[in-house]
Amino acid sequence: MTGEKMTLGGVVKATIDALAVAARNFVKPERITVYYPYEKLEYGRLRGWIGLWTEKCTSCMMCARICPTNAIKMYLAPNGKRYPGIDYGRCIMCHFCIDVCPTDALYGTGIKELAWYDYKEMIYTPDMEREPPKIQEPYKSVKVAIKYEGGVPKKIRVHG
Amino acid sequence: MNIWSLLLSPRLWFFILMFAASGGVLLTVVWFERKAAARVQMRVGPYHVSPQLGGYLQLLADAFKFIISEPIVPRGAHKLLFTWSPAIFVTLAFGASLLLPLTPELRLIKDPALLPHGLVFSLVILLLVSISVVVIGWSVNNKFAYIGAAREALLVAAYELPLILSFLAMAILYGTLNPLEIVQKQTLLVGAVLNPIAFLVFVITTAMATARFPFEIADYEGDVATGPYSDYGGIFLVLSFAGGTYYATFSYSFLATLLFLGGWALPGYAPGPWPQDVIGHLILALWVFLKTTVLMFFFAFLRAAMPVLRLDHTLVLGWRGLLVLGFLAVLWSAALRLGGVVP
Amino acid sequence: MIKSEEYGLVLKEEKLEGGRRVLDLFWGPQHPTSGHTRFIVEVDGDVVVNVTPDPGYVHRTMEKLGETRHWIQNIPLFERLSLPDAINVTWAYSTAIERLAKMDVSPRAQYLRVIMAELSRISTHLYDLGLHAIMIGSSTGFMWGFGLRELVVQLWAMVSGSRTTPTWVLPGGVRTAPPDAFYEQTKGFLDYLEKKIDEFVRVVVKNPVGYYRLKEVGYLGREDAARLMATGPGARGSGIDWDARRVYKYGIYDEFEWDVCVEDGGDSLARTMVRICEIRQSARIIRQALDRAPRDGPLVGEAVLHRMPPKQKETANQLIRLGALFTSRLPEGEGLGITEGGRGRYFFHVYGDGSEKPYRVRISTPSWQNLRAMIKAFIGARLMDLPAIYGSFGYFPPEQDR
Repeated sequence: MTGEKMTLGGVVKATIDALAVAARNFVKPERITVYYPYEKLEYGRLRGWIGLWTEKCTSCMMCARICPTNAIKMYLAPNGKRYPGIDYGRCIMCHFCIDVCPTDALYGTGIKELAWYDYKEMIYTPDMEREPPKIQEPYKSVKVAIKYEGGVPKKIRVHG
Repeated sequence: MNIWSLLLSPRLWFFILMFAASGGVLLTVVWFERKAAARVQMRVGPYHVSPQLGGYLQLLADAFKFIISEPIVPRGAHKLLFTWSPAIFVTLAFGASLLLPLTPELRLIKDPALLPHGLVFSLVILLLVSISVVVIGWSVNNKFAYIGAAREALLVAAYELPLILSFLAMAILYGTLNPLEIVQKQTLLVGAVLNPIAFLVFVITTAMATARFPFEIADYEGDVATGPYSDYGGIFLVLSFAGGTYYATFSYSFLATLLFLGGWALPGYAPGPWPQDVIGHLILALWVFLKTTVLMFFFAFLRAAMPVLRLDHTLVLGWRGLLVLGFLAVLWSAALRLGGVVP
Repeated sequence: MIKSEEYGLVLKEEKLEGGRRVLDLFWGPQHPTSGHTRFIVEVDGDVVVNVTPDPGYVHRTMEKLGETRHWIQNIPLFERLSLPDAINVTWAYSTAIERLAKMDVSPRAQYLRVIMAELSRISTHLYDLGLHAIMIGSSTGFMWGFGLRELVVQLWAMVSGSRTTPTWVLPGGVRTAPPDAFYEQTKGFLDYLEKKIDEFVRVVVKNPVGYYRLKEVGYLGREDAARLMATGPGARGSGIDWDARRVYKYGIYDEFEWDVCVEDGGDSLARTMVRICEIRQSARIIRQALDRAPRDGPLVGEAVLHRMPPKQKETANQLIRLGALFTSRLPEGEGLGITEGGRGRYFFHVYGDGSEKPYRVRISTPSWQNLRAMIKAFIGARLMDLPAIYGSFGYFPPEQDR
C-alpha cells in the first residue's frame, strides 16, 4: 500500500472505516483489565520471594557468588556455619541462587507482592528467610487468568 | 416587584440552567470521552472514584486536585497576561452561549429585536477564543508555547472563513438571523438536512477551533508538549486547556444545535407562556441540552479513532477543502432560497 | 508595561551564516515523546534544518560491567539493554558464549528459542508501534499495542516465571520448559494478534489522518540507509533486503517458511508496514515451531549436560540447574553472537581469557546504529514530523546508550 496516492473517495472510505472499527470496539469492547487488588492474575509460574531451609544448607556460598546484584550476604550462625540472607532491595528475582544451589536449600515461591516501610526491613537474615513474609490482603482477591475463547481474550476465574 | 416575579424571572432561570446544565453536560461529556476511549482501547477507564456510577465523578476529583495545586507562574512569563488570559479564555468560551436563547422565553436578551445581534455576537466571541490562546502562548514566553501560539494563529486563519461561510449559508437559507425564527423554521426539516454541506463544514471547523482530535495541533503533545499551555498548571490549566476548551466545544455545539439541529423545536409540542408552564420550558431546555450533548459526544468519540493531522495538511484542508465547501454551502442555500424550497 | 523585546521568538533565534535564522529547540530528555535522549533541533520556520543528537542520559556502562562479573551473571544484566526484546539480546550473548566455549545447543532448545525469540520480536514491534501511534496522536493504537504486549508478557511469565525479565536463554539451551498450556495459549494469542493488527492498520495506518502523517515523511534513500548502516526496519523500509536471520542462518530459522519483509518506500509508512508485516511473519514462524517443537528432551546441549550431576540431569527436561554452567570457565579466544532483534541487529563480541569473567564484551545495538540514519531522515522534515520519524525507527535510548 505504500507509494500510491489516496483518491478523495478512498480518503472518505478509509476515514469511515477507521471510525467503524472504533465504533465496533466501542460496542463490543475486548477488555483484559484486571482489577488488581480485587483480582489477581494467575500466571502458573512466577519467580518471587526466596526461602531457605537452613538444615539443608551446606554453606557452599554458590548462591552468594552467582548473585548478579550481590544481594546475598552470608551470615555467621551460632553453629559456626554461614547461611545466606537476601537483601530484597537489590534482589532482581532471577532465581539464579535457587538454580545453582546443589542441595536445594533455597526454594522459590510465587510471592511477588513485597513491600516494606524501611530499607532496613528489606535485608533478610537467614532466620527471616525461613518463613515466607505475610501478604497483607485488605481485599479478598479472586484469582483470574486470560484465556482465549472464540478468538478473543477473556478474563476467567481460576480456582486453586 | 414581588418575590415571585423575581424568582420566576426567565433571565434568572436561564442563568441557573446554563451554569448548572453546562456543568452537567461537561461532566457527562468528559466522562463519556474517557469511558468511550477506554472501551475502544481494551481498558476500563475511570473507575475507583464512584465505582457504582462507573467513575462518573472522576472529573470532580480531577478538578479538585487541580484547584488545590499550587498555581506556578514561571519567571520569564508576563505575569498579568499569564494569570488573566485563562480566565478570559473560559469567559469568552462560555459567555458566547449566554447570548443565545435556550427556549423561546428563557434567554438573557429580553428584547426580541436584539436577538439577531446576540446570535452574530456569540459567533464573534467564539472566534475571539483563539486570540486568547495566542495571548496565552505569548505570555508564557517559552519556545514551545510560541510555536503553539503561532500554529493556533495559522489555524484561526484557516478555519475562520469556512466557519463564517457556513453560518452565512444558514442565514441565507432561513432568511433571518433571529434565533427564534430560525428554530421555528426547522420544525419540519432541520438545517443539517436542508444544507448538509454547511453542517459538515461547521462540524469540522468546530473540531479545529476547539482543538478536538484530529486537529489537536496547537497543543500537540508530540513535538511542542501541549504548546501554549506547556507551563500552565493547577487552576490555570483547568480554566484554559483542561476545562476551557470543553466550554468552547459546548458553546459551538449549542450554536450548532440552534442553527442545524432544530434547537428546541419539538414537533407537536408547544409550551405555554413562561411563568405558568415552567415544566414545559424545562422540557424544551432539556431537549436542547440533549442535542448539544450528543453533538459533543461525537467530538469526544473522535479521540478514540483519530491520530493528529499535520499542520500543513490542516491548512490545506482549511483553505482548499473547507473554504470551497463553505462557498458551495452558500451557493446551495442561495439556490434553495431562489428555488423557493425554503421553509 | 509590556517590554516587547523580552518576548516573542525573534530574539530567541540564532543567526547562521548566509543571513539564515534558526530556532534551537531542545527536544528531550524531558519531553513527552523524546525518551531519555536529547535532540537539539534547529528549525527554520516549520522546517527542521539540523538535528544534533545528545545521547548518553541512560548510559549504564554495560560493556565495562560485563568485564567485572562471571559470564553467567551477565545474562540478567544484558537483557536490561532492551527489556522489550530481552530474548533476542540474551540469545545473541549466549551464541557468543557458545561459540567461545564450544557448547552445543539441544534440538528442543532450538525450537523453544525460536518461539520465544519471535514472541520477543512481536513484543518489541508492538511496543514500537504503540509508541509510534501515541507519537502521532492515536491513543487507541498505543493502548492496543500495549494491551497486546500485556498478553505477550503473560506468555513469557508462563514460560520463564517473570513478566518482563525472563533471564531465560542460557548458553547451550534454555532455562525452563514451557508448560503444556503454553502451546494452546500461544495459538489463541496469535489468532487474536492477527485480528487486532488488522484493526490497528485500519485505525492508525490506513486512516487518512495517520496515513498522511507517515507517508513521504522522513525519507531515507536506499543508498543512504546502506551508507549510514541503518538496520532492522530502518534498512528494510528503505528497500534493503537484509535480515540477520536469513543472512547468518542462526538457530533453525532455515527450517521454517517465512519471508523477509521489505518495503521500497523509505518513509515512515514503509518502516511501519515492515513492522506490521514482520509481526505477521513472526506469527507464521511461531505456528510452525509450535507444531514441530518436541515436547520432551533435554533443554541444553551435550556439552553442558555431561557436566551436570546425575540428580540434576534427571530434571534437565524441565529445568536447568546452573551449577554446571557456573563452574565452567571461558577458554581463551573470542566468540561472536548475532541475532536479529525487533529493532535490528544485536551483536555481541566476547573475549575470553581463561578466567570465568569475560576479558571484554563488545556490544552493538540497533538503536545506536539507526541514530545517524534517523538524523538523516529528520533533516528537511517539518517540526510536526519529528515524532512520526522518531517512532518509525523504534528508537530506544536505553538500548542505544547501553
